[in-house]
Order: sequence, then C-alpha cells, then structure tokens
Amino acid sequence: MKLPRRSFLKLSAATVGAVSLGGAATLTSRAKAAPAWYTKEVKQVFQICENCFWRCGIRASVVGNRVYKVDGYKENPKSRGMLCPRGQAAPAQTYDPDRLKKPLIRIEGSERGAGKYREATWEEALDYIAKKMLGLKEQYGPESIAFFGHGTGDGWFVDFLPAAWGSPNAAKPSVSLCTAPREVAAQYTFGRAIGGHEPIDWPNTKYIVLIGHHIGEDTHNTQLQEFSEARKNGAKLVVVDPRFSTAAAKADRWLPIKPGTDTALLLAWIHVLISENLYDKAYVEKYTVGMDKLVAHIKPYTPEWAEQQTEIPAQVIREVAREMAQHKPKAVLPPTRHTVWYGNDTQRMRASYILNALLGNYGREGGFYIAMPPYLEKYPTPPLPLEPAAGGCAGPTAVDKEPEGYKPRADKGKFLAKTTAIQELIEPMITGQPYPIKGLFAYGINLFHAIPNVPRTKEALKNLELYVAIDVLPQEHVMWADVILPEATYLERYDDFVTVSHKTPFIQLRVPAHEPLYDTKPGWWIAKELGKRIGLEQYFPWQTIEEYLDTRMQSVGLDLETMKSMGTMVQNGKPWLSDWEKEGQNPFNTPSGKIELYSESLAKAGFDPLPKYEPPQPVPEGYYRLLYGRSPVHTFARTQNNPVLMEMESSNSVWLNAEEAARLGFKPGDYAYLINQDGVREGPVRVKITQRIRKDAVYITHGFGHKAKGMTLADGRGASDSYLQTRYTLDRISGGAGLRNNFVKLEKAPAPKLKSVVKLIKERRA
Amino acid sequence: MARLGMLIDLSACVGCAACAVACKMENQVPAGANRLWIREREVGVFPDLTVEFRPEQCNHCENPPCVPVCPTGASYQTQDGLVQVDYNKCIACGACIAACPYDARYIDKKGGYADKCTFCSHRVAKGQQPACVETCPTYARIFGDLDDPNSEISKTLEAAGRQDVLRPDMGTRPKVIYLNAPSKKGLTQEVMES
Amino acid sequence: MTEFYGLPNTGEFWHWTNALHFVLVGLAGGMAFLAAILTLRQHPERKRYWWLAGILIALDLFVLWAESPARWRFSHIWLFFSFEPGAPIWWGAWGLSAAMAAVALLLLKQWVRLLERIPEGVLGVVLLLGSLVALAYPGFALAVNTTRPLWNSMMLAIFPITALLMVLAIAILLGSTWAKRWEVWAAALSLGLLLAYPFTLQEAAREHLFREGLVGYALAGLLIAVAALLFRNPRWAAALGLAGAVGLRWLLVMVGQFQSPGL
Repeated sequence: MKLPRRSFLKLSAATVGAVSLGGAATLTSRAKAAPAWYTKEVKQVFQICENCFWRCGIRASVVGNRVYKVDGYKENPKSRGMLCPRGQAAPAQTYDPDRLKKPLIRIEGSERGAGKYREATWEEALDYIAKKMLGLKEQYGPESIAFFGHGTGDGWFVDFLPAAWGSPNAAKPSVSLCTAPREVAAQYTFGRAIGGHEPIDWPNTKYIVLIGHHIGEDTHNTQLQEFSEARKNGAKLVVVDPRFSTAAAKADRWLPIKPGTDTALLLAWIHVLISENLYDKAYVEKYTVGMDKLVAHIKPYTPEWAEQQTEIPAQVIREVAREMAQHKPKAVLPPTRHTVWYGNDTQRMRASYILNALLGNYGREGGFYIAMPPYLEKYPTPPLPLEPAAGGCAGPTAVDKEPEGYKPRADKGKFLAKTTAIQELIEPMITGQPYPIKGLFAYGINLFHAIPNVPRTKEALKNLELYVAIDVLPQEHVMWADVILPEATYLERYDDFVTVSHKTPFIQLRVPAHEPLYDTKPGWWIAKELGKRIGLEQYFPWQTIEEYLDTRMQSVGLDLETMKSMGTMVQNGKPWLSDWEKEGQNPFNTPSGKIELYSESLAKAGFDPLPKYEPPQPVPEGYYRLLYGRSPVHTFARTQNNPVLMEMESSNSVWLNAEEAARLGFKPGDYAYLINQDGVREGPVRVKITQRIRKDAVYITHGFGHKAKGMTLADGRGASDSYLQTRYTLDRISGGAGLRNNFVKLEKAPAPKLKSVVKLIKERRA
Repeated sequence: MARLGMLIDLSACVGCAACAVACKMENQVPAGANRLWIREREVGVFPDLTVEFRPEQCNHCENPPCVPVCPTGASYQTQDGLVQVDYNKCIACGACIAACPYDARYIDKKGGYADKCTFCSHRVAKGQQPACVETCPTYARIFGDLDDPNSEISKTLEAAGRQDVLRPDMGTRPKVIYLNAPSKKGLTQEVMES
Repeated sequence: MTEFYGLPNTGEFWHWTNALHFVLVGLAGGMAFLAAILTLRQHPERKRYWWLAGILIALDLFVLWAESPARWRFSHIWLFFSFEPGAPIWWGAWGLSAAMAAVALLLLKQWVRLLERIPEGVLGVVLLLGSLVALAYPGFALAVNTTRPLWNSMMLAIFPITALLMVLAIAILLGSTWAKRWEVWAAALSLGLLLAYPFTLQEAAREHLFREGLVGYALAGLLIAVAALLFRNPRWAAALGLAGAVGLRWLLVMVGQFQSPGL
C-alpha cells in the first residue's frame, strides 16, 4: 500500500553531525579524572548495535581506529538514549585479538573439524567458492545449496543471494528456533505479524501477565525501558514461570507453574472470562468471529481442571482472570519471543491471542498496537527468480508455490507454515531426501549452539561438498568450514538499512566508524564479489554501497549524507484501530477480515481450529526437565569471548532447587555434569543451589559450553544447553522445534581447571 | 556549593549490569578491577521469595575514610561532594584501599595510581549524566544535587518510602542512597555460611 | 547466596612486597630507636648502630619505592609537599626521613668539619623522635582502618613491641650483650600480646584469622614463646624470636586485609 512520500515524513528533531569533543579546557583542574580517549579528537557516527537482534540505534565515539564508547540517542525509538550491557560492551568484540583476520581455506585432504587451514587472498577464496557452487548447480541444481544466517547482513546472504541464485533452502534460526509459533499463530488469528519489535503499548497498560517472559534477564532495551515505565505508572504484574525470574521478583503475583502446562492455564482464564461474563463484549462483537464456537469449546477447561494440570490453585486462577478483566482493555499478555517450547506452541500462542482478544486490547491503548513497516523502496534490480523463503511470516492467504523450473524448499510438507524451518533442512544433507543438499553457507549463525541435535548437524556437515562460514570469531562450527570468510564487524562497515515496524515506523542507518581491521570485508562486499563470480552480476547493479544506500534514501526524499547526520528517520504509523477506521481500512488480513477466534483455515488444514490442551511429556525418574534462558550480560553464544562481558559473568551455572540439592548431596561451590536422556554429557558447570526454581526442573543460561580453542576466553566454560538438546518436538503448524523435552540428571564433577578470565585477558594483550 | 549524590531505586533495578558495563567502557577500567558491580541476593524460601539486585560503587561519602589516610593528599574531597584522586600525587600506597569499607577502590597498575568511580566528573563537567545513569534502561538511577530542593534527586527522595545506605554503622555518610529495598529488613548483608 | 555481575575489589591490596616492608620498617624503626638510645647514652657501640640504622632505613625506603606501581612517576616527592596529619604513612615518611637525616649527619660528622658544630645530643634527640614515629606508625597504618576488624587497636602495641623484639634479637646475634635482658622482655610481651589478641576480635574476624592463618599464628607463637623462655642460650633465643616476630608481622599484614562483613 503506497502512500505519498512527503506527507508522512517526520524528520527527527535533532540532527547531529560529526561532533568533536577535543580539548581539556573544561576539565576540573586538579584531578585528571577524564579517561584518556575523552580528551582526544573524538568523532561520532551513527551506528546500529549488533550485539543482539533488537538492533538499537546508537552513536559511536571514535578516536582514530578505535571506538571507545557507544551510547543510545534520544531520537532513536529503540535506544531512546539508553543502552543495555551487551550493547555497551559490543565494541570490545571489534578489538578481540581472537577475531578472524584473513580468509582461510581448509587444507586439502584434512577432516572437517580438525581445524587445519591455510591463509588465502579474497580472490582465491571467492574463486574457490564460486567454482564449487557452479559445479554443484550443474550436478544437483541450485537448490542443493542451503543458506543459513542471522544478523544485519543476513539480508544479503539469506534473503537476496539465495533468491537470486535460485535456492529455496534459505533459513534463519530466528524463525523455527524462536518466533515461528507466535508469528504463525498471529497470522492465523489477527492476520498480522507480531514482528521483531513486539508491539505492546507498555506505558499505558495497567495489568501485565508474563508467561515465561523473563524480562530483566532478557534485556531487549526498549522493552526493558517500557516495562519499567509501565511499573512506574502503577501497572500490576503477574509472572507465570517455573522459575522465580528477575521479572518474578518484580511481580505482584508469581505463579510457579508446572512446566509445559501453560495452555491449560490460558484456557482456564478464557473459561473464567466467558463463564463470568467478564470479557469485552462490544469488542468481541465488532472485531472477532467464532465466539459461539469458542464458548462451546471452552466448557471443560475449568480452573479446577487447570489446577490439576498446572499445580496453580483454582482460586488464584480465578482471581487473576478477574483482575485482568477489571483492567481491560489495558490488560495484556505480551506474546514473548522465543516460543518453541514443547512442539504444540502455535496452539498455546493461539490461546494467548484469543485471551488478549477477549480483553479487547488488540489495537487499543494498553494492549497491542498495530505496527506498520516504514516506507522505503528496494534498490531496483532485475526481478529475482525466487521470493525470499527465510524470513517474513506468510499467513493463511499466502501462496506457497514455487515458480516454473525451481524445486520446492526441502522441508515442504513437514509442517503447515510457509517459511523454512532450519532444523528440517539438516536431514536432506544426510539422506538426500527429498533431494540432496550438498552445499551450505552459514552467515553469522552458530550451527552448534542454535540448531538442536548437534551430532546430526555434525554428520550433515561431513556429507557436504561445500561449506562456507562467514563470521567474525573462530566459533567451533566456523572451524569446520571449507572456506572461512572473515567479515568486518558492525562498527567497521555499512550494511543495508534496518527498517523497524513500529508505532512510529523508522529506518536506521549504520555508518562505519573506521576502516575494517585486518583483512576483513563487509558482508555487502562479499555478497557482491561472490555474486559477480556465480553469474549474478546483474543483481548487483550498484557500484558502491554508498550508491545503494543513497538510491534507497532518495525514495523517501532524503539522501545518504543527510541520513548520516540523522541516524534514524522516523515516519508516521497507524497504531490504533481508530486510526484505521478513520481511513476506512481494515488491519486484519484474515479470510474473514476479523480476528479469528475460531480458525477456519486451520480446520481446513487438518489442525485444531481452537486450542486444545496436551499434557507435556513426563519427566523421567531421576531426571529434571532442562529449561534455559538468557543472561542479561550475554547474547546467545556470541559474547562469551567478549572480555568486558566475561568479566561480568564468566560462566553459566545450573539452577537446582535447594531441597533437591540437599538430597543429591550438592553443597555451595560444587560443580556438576549434566547428562541428558541420550547420554550426552556437558559441564562441569557450577551448581547454583537456589529456592528460586521448582523441584522438577533445572535451568541454565544459553550460550556457554564452548568447544572452540580459538576463542580463548570462551573455550571450556560452563555447559551448553544446545548440546544437551538432542531431541526436539516438531510443531506441525509453524515448523518450530520444541526444545524443552530434554531431560538431564546431575552428577558430581570436579571443579574445572581453567585460568581466570582476567588472567587470560591480560595475557592476550601481550 | 552543590552536594552531589546518587539515588538507586532497587524496585526498578533488575541487575542487568548495563551501568557496570557502561562504566567499564567509558572509563577504560582495567581488566580485574571494577568501579561498579551488581550484587544479587535471594531472600526467603520457595515460594515466598524476593531478590535484591544491588549495584555498588564508590559512595562519595561525606565523611570518607579514604581521604585523611592518604599521605600525599592525592585522595581529596571536592567542594561539590565528590571524592576524587589526583593521579599526579598518588604513590599507589594502597592506604585508601585499606580504609574503604565498600571495596570501591583499586590500583590501576599501568598508570600507577589508585582509582575508583569518579561520578564521571568529566561528563558532569559538560552537563552530561554519569555513564551509569545515562545508560540505565530501567530508570533506576538519578544523579544530582542533594542540596537543591528542586533537583530531581531531592524531589524523589522527598517522596520516597524506604531509604537505605550501605554500612551506615561505619559513619561514612555515603551519598549513594538506595530506595525501596526489597527485603523488609532493609539492605541484605552477607550471612556467614555455616 | 550472593552472586555478582562483575566483582567488588575484594582481592588482596597489599602483597608480599608490602608485608616485606612491614618487616623492614620494624627493623628500620627499631634499629633507629636503639641507635638513638645508644647515642643519648654516649654508648661506645653507638657508631655501629648508626650504620645499622642507616642501612635498614635506606633498605626499607628503597623497597617502598621499588614496590610502588608509581615508582617511575616519582610522585613520592609529594609526601614532603603535603601536610596530612591524619595519614599514618605521611607520619612514617617524615619520621623515617628525620631518622635517616639524623643518622646521616651523625655519620658524616666524623669527616665533614662543617657538621662538627652540631651536638651529638641534638641529633640523638632527632633520631629518637624519628624512630618513635617510625615505630608507632605501622601499627597506626593498620589500626586506622576501622573497616578491617583484624586490625584493631592491638596493632598499636603488637607492631612496636615485635619491632623491638626483632632488633634486639639482631643486636644479640651481633654480640651486643646489653641487649639480652631487653630481648627477653620484648619476647615475653610479644607473647602476651599474641595470646591476648584473638580474644579482642569479633567472631567473624577471629574465624577468619584461624581459617586463613592458624598454622602461621601458632608457629609464630611457638617461636616467640620459646624465645621468651630460653634464658640459657641467648643466641638461639634471638634467632627464634626474630623469626617469630617476622612471621607474626607478615601474617597480620596479609591475613588482616579481611573486610568486615556488612555488605
């Protein structure tokens, strides 16, 4: 839907150019308290943080070839002048001596994973890759090469390049290993995506129910800010979590739910709202379909029944439902983010959205706002043979048909959703079914710390004829590749614009702070150079990245230079239903044009049109369910070599209920091995004896347990949940891989003999 | 003159350590030393629990024990209430570290002087907030003049409920003030493990 | 259970080099004191003790400079351009320097005619005052830190007394027979202080002392006890007393860095 360009432009208030902060004139006379860099010639550029996928707009303070500090800036709707710990520490990665510095080619005849490489020039490395790619295309077809990736550069390697090349096997872990259930459920309920910036109107909400949503340990900047605002504005908070998370510590109520039973709770809440007539009748009448079917369906799901499943008292369930209703429509259950839990997650999300709809909060203040993407035209290229298959959230009305002459994606038919599921593209590399996948690009994604069933991934890698890793650190999976291409880090490069769907949609620009260090190159350059060599030159008609960015900027009436002085361009949005109704438009892109409480489309596809409850797999005797989450100072498996963050937290620990610890004979300071149901052993990892978790589960933060000799700080610390996730439960609607049906037992372990992080940092400097 | 202090709202703080990391980056704090850290303690028994997330740093005490013991006068107090180190005069003898009840100080080995949180005086001199205050994503920190009744910090303290400082028994009169300690008994203390 | 992101600066702030200084300063101050007394009594051995005092003070000052991370900035000069009466180390700098100056003048007087006019008695008084400050200040440097419960006011007695024990022991070993009687008293007093000290401590501090330093403490006690009781063989008494005093001082400096609970 095109809108006139200038009418919605909203230029950001302050334009900030390069600011020089030189001179010592204003410093206090006595003490030289200013850090050395602060007194030098400091240049500032607008940047986009890359230390997680929130991608805050930041300002980088540069002296010569070094960024000393990054900060948020007020005009950016993500950072708003503040920054989380990962963002603050991210520059340390650019100056990490363990960084990949030169292209590497695996020595002929050596085994994948043995780590035997020789340095190469970019020309040689790219020629090698191109030759192999063309050979595979000839022999097996373009679909035989898979493209995995995530990060700001993934636009080049997972969206653009595979679509130009002709491979539908492009996948991002953020889909089937993270958001797929909530996105697919949202498409089938609201006909809209949730999107990367969750559209919750925190500042105006009065009642928040978090289900497993560990805000505070999950430090997505804006969300944390707005969550704090909501609490300051008097919002009540209910946290449903088997673990007393940071959010639970801030809550008015903590419901220590039995893991895997959340859908029962949601259904019981729907039951109370309906049976006690507490839902928003006018809203349901006007904006939804299927209420009558829901009323019939919900009858057996009483709070008493739910108490049996969830171990939460029925009285509490009722009270919370009534409190929710009391505050409607300013009562909300945010959708969370990583929703691939038990394999039936799309239905759980459906229940959550139905409940939100009954509270009448979708498209209204205090609930979900309607996020719009910003307007920005693509760079004109010849039409791509394929539609990008990896990201995006195609719903019930989208077509999943491949063009003439091209094969379907290799995971087609395994589940309903139309986006790729990365973990389902591993099997074809081993079995050759439905057709062989012989090549793989891994851009930024950590193959052994993201995709479950690591042994299967390793087996798949061994079967490939071409495996290319594009990364910044010598992660374990990187050192299995045939060709390793060292990308310049975010501070050293331009990238494509980051566009954010939002209340006030906006566009962010990344400007390099200094030239890439060592012999590293930006992703756009790698993509273009590779494209030239594999017959895709026509798709890269722009000469320089500046030209590319400038041309795109022209479509919104600006140019690159202006954008460099702004950092962010904010446009007008349409957050509320009233905004849409004013223009006579309907935000709900469902077949019925309304919020589908009952989903005819799901029924047609052979799935439950209304959520039912499925009990979770039981925990085997002597085991605990392995739960996992985030540390506030780490991001996935990417920050465990960052010296600043490792000084904050150098390892994860396994949370074990204090009574269980006493029973097993663990004392404070003890270490344990975690052994899963398939005999995989991780650790030693420190045991955190705590009251803050139920007896039937243990919890570790994700991203540790690195087995990468080249990452001197990360190697050998803590335990990896990914390695322990040898099983997953496929969600047949979204393609998501439910990761929480893995169980571990604990065994005493000796304390690991590792040098302290501080010692290693000091040694590396030498 | 001003009397500069810091307020930390423990009901807002989630212990994310953004402040600690921002400080480390801004002030290039050497590896192994810290100007700012987060102390986290759980209180209670399942399911009646609370958690205290407590950032700690130099308290810029009004009665700082680290100032009189400095043999060269390198450790000094400014008119506006900051406790600072004049690097030129410091002989790195460590007397100030010994005297500090808060473990706030360390020796910067490369520079050869004692160091600690400076309330980012270099930023304050330019009208900016200290790095920890600016970055905090939960609005937990306020920095300002305790003697100015119209300052945000004074107004917040005026309206505040429970206020605590670290180790009031030491007589240091710290100027980092904690609001809304999660435990009814105030700020938690180390319990000697039996 | 306490967990951290980052860490407070709870590591050792005084290392073996500082413990060494606390031994050397006891030798320096004690020897200066003996030299002062001998000077004022115009004792024939006084010259020898001027040398001993001078060498030990110089050695202590050298170690203080050499172990400082600020050594090449020469910021130590500021000790003499400031007035910090609240700082025991400031007093120590002045006391040791005064004692050093007095000793230097006493020695140089023999060869430099210009200095002959300064009466020995005056220099002896300066040396005495300087040495008293040098004997007292290490105890104060520890006890002033009210946040460290192991460094209570007993330090004000233990450090001067064990300093005297050390130098009297050395005097005996060098053949100064007059030292024998005083050394036994110093050993007996030191033993008394050592036995009383744990009872003057708060529970947490005492627990820490015994957890971290029980063996050392007991050994030092044993050595000093034997030294106090060994009337027959003064040379052995001296050697054991010296070792015990050195060990006790070293232990108190290292183990005493314990921060009182309260955080």
